[in-house]
Amino acid sequence: MNTTKTVNYEKLAAQLDSVKADVKSKLGEQDAKYIRRVIVCQRVFEWSGRILLMLGFIQPVLWLVGVLSLATAKILDNMEIGHNVMHGQYDWMNDKYINSRSYEWDIACDGASWNRVHNYEHHTYTNIIGKDRDFGYGLLRLSNDFRWRIKNLWQFVTYLLLSVLFQWGVSYHEMAAERVFFGKKKDDRDYKVSHSELKKRFFSKGARQLVKDYLLFPMLAGPLFLWVLTGNLAANLLRNLWTSTIIFCGHFTGEVETFNQQDCENESQGQWYYRQALGSSNIKGGNLFHVMTGHLSYQIEHHLFPDLPAKRYREIAPKVQAIFKEHGIHYNTGGFFRQYFSVVKRIVRYSFP
Amino acid sequence: MRALLNSLSKHLLHHQSWNGYWEPVVQCFKPGWREGYFRAQVKHVQVFAEQSIELIIEPEKAWPVHQAGQHIALTIQTNGRLLTRVFTIASEPQLARQQRQIRLLIRSQEIGAFTSKLTNLRTGQWLNISEPKGQFVMPNTARSLIMLAGGSGITPFIAMLKSIPADSKQTITLLYYAKPNSHWLKDELEQLKQSLRNFDYHLLERSKDGDATTWLTTNAHKHWLVCGPAALYKQAAALAKQLNTPIDSEHFSAVPAAVVTSDKHELTLTHQGKTFTIDNQQTLLTHLQANKQPVTVGCGMGICHQCQCVKKQGIVRDIRTGELSDSSEQLIQLCISQPVSDVELSA
Ligand code: FES
Repeated sequence: MNTTKTVNYEKLAAQLDSVKADVKSKLGEQDAKYIRRVIVCQRVFEWSGRILLMLGFIQPVLWLVGVLSLATAKILDNMEIGHNVMHGQYDWMNDKYINSRSYEWDIACDGASWNRVHNYEHHTYTNIIGKDRDFGYGLLRLSNDFRWRIKNLWQFVTYLLLSVLFQWGVSYHEMAAERVFFGKKKDDRDYKVSHSELKKRFFSKGARQLVKDYLLFPMLAGPLFLWVLTGNLAANLLRNLWTSTIIFCGHFTGEVETFNQQDCENESQGQWYYRQALGSSNIKGGNLFHVMTGHLSYQIEHHLFPDLPAKRYREIAPKVQAIFKEHGIHYNTGGFFRQYFSVVKRIVRYSFP
Repeated sequence: MRALLNSLSKHLLHHQSWNGYWEPVVQCFKPGWREGYFRAQVKHVQVFAEQSIELIIEPEKAWPVHQAGQHIALTIQTNGRLLTRVFTIASEPQLARQQRQIRLLIRSQEIGAFTSKLTNLRTGQWLNISEPKGQFVMPNTARSLIMLAGGSGITPFIAMLKSIPADSKQTITLLYYAKPNSHWLKDELEQLKQSLRNFDYHLLERSKDGDATTWLTTNAHKHWLVCGPAALYKQAAALAKQLNTPIDSEHFSAVPAAVVTSDKHELTLTHQGKTFTIDNQQTLLTHLQANKQPVTVGCGMGICHQCQCVKKQGIVRDIRTGELSDSSEQLIQLCISQPVSDVELSA
C-alpha cells in the first residue's frame, strides 16, 4: 500500500518503546492479582453455567441463564485468559500454569498450533498478503490484492458460516493454509512443526472438544442429557459469534490497510510499528466490554505490544493515540456498531470485482 | 485418585492438572496455596550484622519434617513474580516437630534480587516450600566427626549439632571458616559447646589461619563432613581420597558468577544434557543453532514466543532492554537472551 513517507520512523520507535518500557517497569502484583481474579470468575461462570443447564428441566429460564453463563465462561477463557496468556503476557510471573507454554484453552483449536501460526505469522507479518494467513482466513476476499473469483459473490454467507463455526474455522484454517490436507507444499516456508504432528493435534484436540461438549458432559448429566447437550451447543455458538465478530472488527474494518512482501523486508522497528498500527482497528466501549473482548478492542495496542498484559492497554491507549497524532498516523477507532458496519461493508464491497 | 482427577481435568477442563485448575480459586481462601508446594507462614524476620538474614517460618501440618542437614526450596512471590531459591534448614527437626518452626539463615549480599526481597517479608505472610531434600545428614557411624564449614555452609551443621542428644558419646570438632568478622551464630556455638559434652569448635579465617590441610591430615582417622563453596570441598575431597578417609559433603555453587561486561568471555551452556562452550556475545538461539541443537524458532525478534524454553539456572540479559534475569528457573525467549553466566536449559 502507499505509505506516507513523512513518518519519522526512528522517533516513532523511540516513543513507542518508551511507552512499553514504562508499562513493563510497572508490571507486578496488580497484574498477577488481576489475571488470577479473572480466572476465578471464569471458574465460577463455568460451573454455575453447567449446573444451571441441568436445572433447565425445573424451569427453562434457568437453562437460558446457564447458557449465558457458560458462554461467558468460554469467552473469558478464550479471550481475556487464553489468548493473552498464550501470548506470553504473563510469563514474567513464573507461574506453573499461567504461562504461554502450558496454557490450553477451551476451543477446538490446539493451543500449540495456534500459538505457532497466530503469534508468529499473524503478529510478525500482520496483513502482509501471502504471509499473514489470518487475513481473510483464505476464505474471504477483503482487498484488491486477491483476484476476484465467482465464489466471492456469496462470501457474505461464507462469512456468516465462518462466524458460526469460528472455532473450527480457526482450527482448520491453519492446516488448510499449510496444505496439511491437500498436497502441494509451498517450499519457501520453513516448517516449525511437522505436518503429521499438526494433523494429529487437530484431530485429537478437536475430537476431545467434541467428546467433551457433546458426549461426556451430557452423559454426566444422566437423564438431563439433552438439556446439557443443547446448552453446550448454544454456549459454543454464542462464543463463536462473539469472538469472530470482535476479531473481524479488529482487523477487517474499512480502513485497515494491507501490505505486500517487499514492505517488510529489512523493516526497521519503527516501520514494523507503523505497519502494525495501520493493520488494526480499535473498538470503543466500557471496561466490562473490554474484558469480554480480551482487550482485543484495543487491537492497535495489542499489535504494537503483543506481550504486555492486556489490561494495561487501557492506560497506554491515550499515549499511543497522542503519538500517532503527532506523526499523522491514522488511529482507527470507533464504536462497536460503526466498526461492525464497516466490516460488513468491506466484505460486501469485495464480493464484487 | 490424583491421577484420575488429572485425567478428568485434561479431558473435561483442558487443564493438565485438577489442582492447578482450581488453584486461583483455592487461593481466595488459602492465601499462598500452590499445587506441588507446601505452604508456610512467616513468623519472624531479622537482619543480622554479619550479613545474614534469619527467617523463621511455620510449615503447614502436612510438611514432612526434615532430617538435620537437609535443604528446601523456598518460593516467594514478590511483586507478582515467583522466585525460588534453595536453602539449608538451620534448625533441628525437634523444633519443627514440637513447635512447627524451621529456621533459615540466608546470606544477604547475594547478587540478584532475591535476598533483598526477603527483608520485605512481613510476619504472617504466606510463602511456599518444597519437601525436605538432600542426603547430607548425620552419618551412621560411631567414629569421631570433623565438620568443615565454609561461610554459609555452617547451616546444616547447626541443625545437626542441635539435633544431637546432650549425652552423645561421639566426639565432634567443627572447623568453621569465614571472612573476618563474619562468623555466624557465635553465641549459639558457644552454648552448644556448653551443653554438648564432646563438642568443640574453632572459628577460622583463611588469611590468618591458612587452609584446612593441617587440621584435616591430623584428623585423618575421623569421619569428615564438609559443607561450603566448591573450592573448599574440592580440597577436602582430594585429601580424603589420598588419606582414605570417609567423607560426606555438600557444596554449593548456588549463585552463578555473573560477570556483567561487554568484553567477550567464555561460558558454558547446558541444553538437554549436552554441554557446549559459548561466549557472551551472541544470543542463546544463535549458539544453539550453531551447535545444531533442535530448537523451535519463529520471528527471531522477541515477538512470537516460539523459541521459548525453560532456563533451569543461570543469568541472561534481554538484548532489547538490557534487563538481567533472575538466576533461578524461568521461562525465557532464546532469540533475545544473551548469556551472562553459565546457563542450563531444560529440554
Ligand atoms: S523466535 Fe519469536 S520470540 Fe523468539
